[in-house]
Amino acid sequence: MHYIALIALLLLSGCSDALVRVMPYEKEYFAQDKMSLSPLDERAEQEGHIFLIREASAGGDSSFQGGCGCR
Amino acid sequence: MPILTQIHANKENTMKKILLLIALGLSLYAGISKGDKAVDFDLKSLDQSKSFKQTDFKGEVVLLNLWASWCSGCKEEMPEFFKLQKEYKSGFKIVAVSIDKNADDSQKFLKSLEDEMGYETPFVTIHDGKKMLPKAYGAVAMPSSYLIDKNGVVRLVIVGSLSNKDIQELKQEIDKLK
Repeated sequence: MHYIALIALLLLSGCSDALVRVMPYEKEYFAQDKMSLSPLDERAEQEGHIFLIREASAGGDSSFQGGCGCR
Repeated sequence: MPILTQIHANKENTMKKILLLIALGLSLYAGISKGDKAVDFDLKSLDQSKSFKQTDFKGEVVLLNLWASWCSGCKEEMPEFFKLQKEYKSGFKIVAVSIDKNADDSQKFLKSLEDEMGYETPFVTIHDGKKMLPKAYGAVAMPSSYLIDKNGVVRLVIVGSLSNKDIQELKQEIDKLK
């Protein structure tokens, strides 16, 4: 009886909010361009520039006047 | 019955019950597979002008395709479906079910494809904005397609997009079922 109760509890835990599984057909919003980490090349370059500054590395990747963070 | 034998029998019964419970639990997560009856639906066409039911296609071999305009794999295989439907004048129908929230997005994509192919969409297009069919079929990928025979029984479950080579194999299956 205890085993059955334990198994039933385990199965029911699948219905809890903590275990939300996004199914492939529910990924409409994830597929949008704005959901990508770097939707624009220009933004990706800028993000790279800021990342290098924060990491205290010399140079600013492909952006000019990098290093100090000022442009 | 000796006590030890009785305990052993009780344990066996409990194990059987546990296994049955697990099987029941797992069946809740399972989708439609080969040999199952196709899911019945009552949905409108993409332009909302007609209603379609699964039973409308009884007597015909059907390729039910679940797709969306935001799904790149779905868009890749769509030209192949245009060509495939053109090859079969009767006895076989492609039913493309768009699960786009907004039917206009699907229509825009099909319009651009029509311009590219040089002819109108040759198959049935249905809108399922509430995603009733992918839920009922338990679709594990986008796109997903189901080959349904004349009696409404699922004969083939296709996960993912179809290449030209896959289409050739699919044609053999269609011819067998026709």
